[in-house]
Formats: sequence, structure tokens, C-alpha cells
Amino acid sequence: MSDLDTFRQTTRAWLLENCPESQRQPIVKAEQIWGGRNRTFPSADAKAWFEAMAARGWTAPTWPSEYGGGGLSAEEAKILQQEMARLQCRPALYEIGIWMFGPALLAFGTEAQKQEHIPKIIRGEIRWAQGYSEPSAGSDLASLKTKAEDCGDHFLVNGTKIWTTNAHHADWIFCLVRTDPSAPKQQGISFLLIDMASEGVSISPIELISGESEFCQTFFDNVKVPKANLVGELNKGWDVAKELLKHERTMMSSMESMTEKEEVSLDALARTHLPLNSEGQIANGELRARLAQLSMEMEAFQQLNERLYYQYQAKQVDPRLGMLLKHIGTKQLQRKDELLLEILGNQALSWETHRASSVEQRITRNWAFNKSHTIAGGTSEIQLNIIAKRALGMAS
Amino acid sequence: MIFNEEQTMLQDTLRSFLADNAPVSDLRALRANPDGPAYNEDLWQQLVELGIPGIALSESDGGLGFGYMGLAAVLHEMGRNLVASPVVSSVALASSLIQLAGDESQKTQWLPRLARGEITATVAVQEGRQFALESLATRFDKGELSGHKTLVMDARESEITLVIAVTDDERLMAAIIPSLELAASSDRYKLMDGRTFSDIELGGLRVPKEALIGADGGCHNAIAKALDIGTLAISAEMIGGAESLLERTVAHLNDREQFDVKLATFQALQHRCAELYCQLELARSAVLSAFTRLDRGQDILRAASQCKALANDCYLTTSNEAVQMHGGMGITDELDIGLYLKRSRVCNQLLGDSSYHRDRYAKAGSL
Repeated sequence: MSDLDTFRQTTRAWLLENCPESQRQPIVKAEQIWGGRNRTFPSADAKAWFEAMAARGWTAPTWPSEYGGGGLSAEEAKILQQEMARLQCRPALYEIGIWMFGPALLAFGTEAQKQEHIPKIIRGEIRWAQGYSEPSAGSDLASLKTKAEDCGDHFLVNGTKIWTTNAHHADWIFCLVRTDPSAPKQQGISFLLIDMASEGVSISPIELISGESEFCQTFFDNVKVPKANLVGELNKGWDVAKELLKHERTMMSSMESMTEKEEVSLDALARTHLPLNSEGQIANGELRARLAQLSMEMEAFQQLNERLYYQYQAKQVDPRLGMLLKHIGTKQLQRKDELLLEILGNQALSWETHRASSVEQRITRNWAFNKSHTIAGGTSEIQLNIIAKRALGMAS
Repeated sequence: MIFNEEQTMLQDTLRSFLADNAPVSDLRALRANPDGPAYNEDLWQQLVELGIPGIALSESDGGLGFGYMGLAAVLHEMGRNLVASPVVSSVALASSLIQLAGDESQKTQWLPRLARGEITATVAVQEGRQFALESLATRFDKGELSGHKTLVMDARESEITLVIAVTDDERLMAAIIPSLELAASSDRYKLMDGRTFSDIELGGLRVPKEALIGADGGCHNAIAKALDIGTLAISAEMIGGAESLLERTVAHLNDREQFDVKLATFQALQHRCAELYCQLELARSAVLSAFTRLDRGQDILRAASQCKALANDCYLTTSNEAVQMHGGMGITDELDIGLYLKRSRVCNQLLGDSSYHRDRYAKAGSL
């Protein structure tokens, strides 16, 4: 038996022993486990599951074990992922630090910064938010104005960040700030870590079309930030940001796999909600064709991801393919949301009433919230620009 | 899911070989000769010397052992150059059918000669306006074949034609008929893509027992699988064609200037090309996944339908966009774009259009 086969067996056994039955059900939003200084667990089982995974470093399976990560190879991490999927284990930790910030800090941070922040991310002790966009710097991110002035032993930060996801629950925020106002746009930007408990930080949640307020606006009013919190070189923050954006786009393209499972099976919902003909097929042929079309394309998207994984294993990655994931994944998710709404019909129109079931209401809320996916993390239009210029080599 | 080292080398070798020996202009020559051969015989002999007829067969069966993924690489390259050859008809379809459904003596009689490229074979399966495997009208009854076949590829060039029919209990069967015997009742023609096809009238053709495959209905699934291999083969060719079209279109936009700038700098055109590339890579991923399933011995029914529907739509959309983005030159016969446009439409019809395969995919799933 190969080492990987052994790993699979021991992993499966460990998961069976450590993942409580209640944590092997489709995830619902209210039961997601998020980290942070003020973290709470939805249940004792959730706490036990989280603690078992965090102790092994499997909340961040491929991160180096010297910082508390799992230290797994890509092959082993894939096996862990497969085994968790097979047993329907829920993700043990939802955390921006794991998806986006951690990989960038591992690449660009100093040893002291890694020692300070990485273990706390893995153990879910600190919850991170992202401070990139500003009210007048969206797609044109490099025009950002929040400034950090050099005051000898610290930076003095003034400005505002918008779309800071869950900033009102976050402990720390990683920000892009302008440190050289005279330099051309992208060259005067630095990457700074700010403790949200610092004096002068205030947060105001933004109500969205989904009725939720996950996104916030965060204000910095004469906030003192120690010099040690600069990641990468001064005025070279754009390089860190680019590394991080790659992880954000990968994450967003796989959003589907992280969102709630119980109501999102399109085929199952279609079969239980739509009239069937005598052959047991969805009677409305036109709708059935559109369902099949999306289903084929979503399968192809999984196959594209699988292909990239094999390329990665063989160290023959075609860099063009990664550029496609965010646009394709988010567009498919929105098409799926529209079909889900169409299947529910007027039951999908309820907002705050007893008229619709909780599943139906969630589908509607997700439909509204998921409009953000083609905007956040680089709009689809920006993605298409990148594909045209970098993947296809079109002149600019 | 990806080509291994040998398959990548095969692809590279074939790409440079075809660039030197099978330019798109070859197709123009075939098109200009209505009574001529279905493909360039000399080119085919060179491909035979490269071992292409036995590309997917294992070395113990007299093949090269590149697997079906190797066949996918070959067809992709042929699709890029619009190369006419019997790879789909003989290598993918007929050889697979005999290998999967034939009895031992049929295999011994035909497979080694097919693998060495001494002869070719073809399959007569299509009927009517739109292909639908579930409603074939050609019957095999009391030892006789009756029906009307259309769009048979490379019929005159093939030593044998495998005619697909249904038994009285609606199961698929096949009959191995010497192509010469069918010549008199065949109508040979060229389609818009410059390729040669035949219609065959079967008016109670008697078939000797030893030429029957699955006359009792026992080979239904094996025959369907062989046809699905053909469906995948055409899909692989279509990916190659769409890729070439997109490359040609981007090159044109990077070259042509209007309003004192390159056309490629216009965002409206950039986004359209980027969307085509997304569609291409999705379809390609489906095709590579299906060929991988084939090499692993897994079921391919649903995968074949997924691939054909996606590849059909991809080639169709890309060819339409390529014509449009080439502007006035796009509608001239001088440019090769029109040849791809027409080939895309013929490929769309071969072994099932998108609506057929979408429906078949839905049925195979739970819709």
C-alpha cells in the first residue's frame, strides 16, 4: 500500500472518530464556525469538531506545521478534502485569514509577523477583515486614498474602507494604504495590518438588497499603527495585494462548495417542485433543457478545476486557466440562483412573511446576496479584461 | 484529465507534421474535385506510417498504446487544420465497434488489418434529418437489412461498412457489409464542408450469419458505447477547430487597425473573445474528462452527450463570432474562416445535435 493510501485510511478513521454526527450534515449559515476573540460556537459538537481540526492544523491543511498548520502535501490535502466530502464533514472554520490573508502573509511576511499571526488564524483566535475598496476606488483599486503617514515609530492612518466583509465581527484588518502620495498610483501603496481595537477605528454596517449587513464601511480617524505591522516593503503593497487577490478569486470561484448545501441541489429541487410527465421527466421541456444546459456547464466547470489540479500535480500549470475560474464560477452560480427562483415561482417572492418556508426564503436571500459575487473580488468585467489581455494576448 | 508526456509529444509531433503536410488548402483541393476521394490518400498513408490507425489500441493488440487520450490528441490537431481523414470513421467508430461488440473471429479477421492501416472501415448509423439513436428505423428482420442511411463517412474508401440497425425487440445490432456490395445503392455527395458522404439504400439486404454483430440484441450497450466513442472523437475534433478559430480571430484583431488603433484594444471585442475562451476551456475540460473516463474503463454515455452538446455550441458560437469579428473578409471564401464555419455545422449534425444530446444528458441524469 502506498503512503497516500495509508494516509487516506488513517484520515478516514480519524474523521469518523472526531467529526460528530451533527457536523456531518449539510451546512446552514447559522451553524458556520467563525473565529475571533469573541467567537461563539453554535453547539458543543461544533466546538469539539473545530477544536479537533485546529489542534491538527487541518483548518489550514497545507500550511507549514512550524506555525501550527497541517503541513500536508497537495496530494494529502486533496485526500483530506475528498474524505471530508465523502463523509459530508462540515468546514471546521470559516475565515478570511485562511482563504486569503494567510497565504499572502506566508509569502511576504517577516518571520516575526508569521509567528505572531499565522498560529492565531489556524486556531481561530483572530478573525480578519479585508480593507481594500474605498468609496471612490472600486475596480480602479489603485486610486485608493486612505493614507498612512510616517510618524517615526508609527504610521498615522486616516481614511475609509468600504465592503469590509464582516468588519463588525473582525479583530484585525489588512489594508492597502497610500504611503507615498507623490508616486504613480500603484507604486505608492503599502500593505498594513491594523488591530480593529485601536483608537480611532469605527465601523458602520451596510444594509444590502439581501437584507443582510455582512459588508461594512470602516473609518480610520488618526489611528496609530506600529511600524512592525507593515507587510512587505514600503510602497510595495501592490505585490502583496496581487498575491492575495489570486486567493480571493480562487475562493470565490469555489463559493458554491462552501455555501449552504441543503437547498442548492438544482436537479433535486426541480424534481420535487416541478410537474413531471408520464416518463418521470420534468414536463416543461423548455425549462428542462435550460436545467440540463446549466448542469452540463457546471459539470464542465468541475472538470476544469480537476484538470487544473492534475496540471498542478504534474507541475505543468497552464496559467491562463486560473484566470477563468472566478468569472465562470460566479456567473454559473447566479444562473443557478435564477433557475432556483424560477422553480419556486411566486413562492420565491416572499420576503419577511410566514408564506414561504425557511428554505424558500433562504434561496431568495442567497439569490440577492450572490449578486455580489460578480462584483466583489474584481468584477466580471475586470476578469474579462484580464482574460483578454493576459490569457489571449489581446493588445491594450 | 491532462495529456501525459507521450501524448503531449504525440500532439506536438502531429501539429508540426500537419503544418507541413496538411495545410487547410488541402481541403480546398478536395472540395474542388466533386468526384474525387474523400481524403488525401497520400497523407493517410503517411499517417498510417506514423501508426495513427492503432493509436488507441494497446501494444499487445498491435497498437501504439497511447490510449484514447492519444486519439483525442490526434483528432484535436486534425480539427485545428480541418484535415479530412478516416480517423473518425475507421479508427474511432468502426474499430471500436468491432473491438467492443465483435466476436472473436470478427476481431481476428478485421482488427489487425485496421490497426495496421491496411484497410479502413466505416459505420452507417445516421438516418433522417436529425440523428437520434433511440429511434432508428433501419430494421434487421429475418436475416435482412432494410432502411435508409445518411451521412456515411468515407464509404467508398472503406473495405467494410458496419450498418447499425435495430432488432425486432428494439435492440441495436450491426452488420459487417463489404462496401463494394453497397456501392450500387449508394449516393455519394459532398456537403458544405467539402467532405464526402454517402447515403445508402438498404432494400432487404441479406446478411450472412458470420457478418452479424449482436443479432440477438446482446450487443446493444457495446454498440452504443462504440458510437459514443465516435461522438467523443468528433467532439475532440471540434475543440481543435474552435481553438484554431479563436487564435485566428485574436491574431486578426491584434493586426487590423481602424480609427488609428488595433481592433483588439476595443473592450467590446476583448470581452467577446474572453467569453469564447471560457466556453472553449469548459468544453475542452469536458472532453478531456470523458476520454479519461474511457481510458479508465468507466461508463461514458452521459459524458459523451455532455461533450457533444458543449462542443457543438462552442464551435457554432466561435465560428459565428469569428466571421463577425473578421468583418467583410470574414464572409469571403478567400479566408479559411468560412471553411471552419461550414465544418462546424456538419460536425454539429454528426451523431447528434445539441438539443438531442442535452435531452439525452438530462435523461441519463435525473431530469
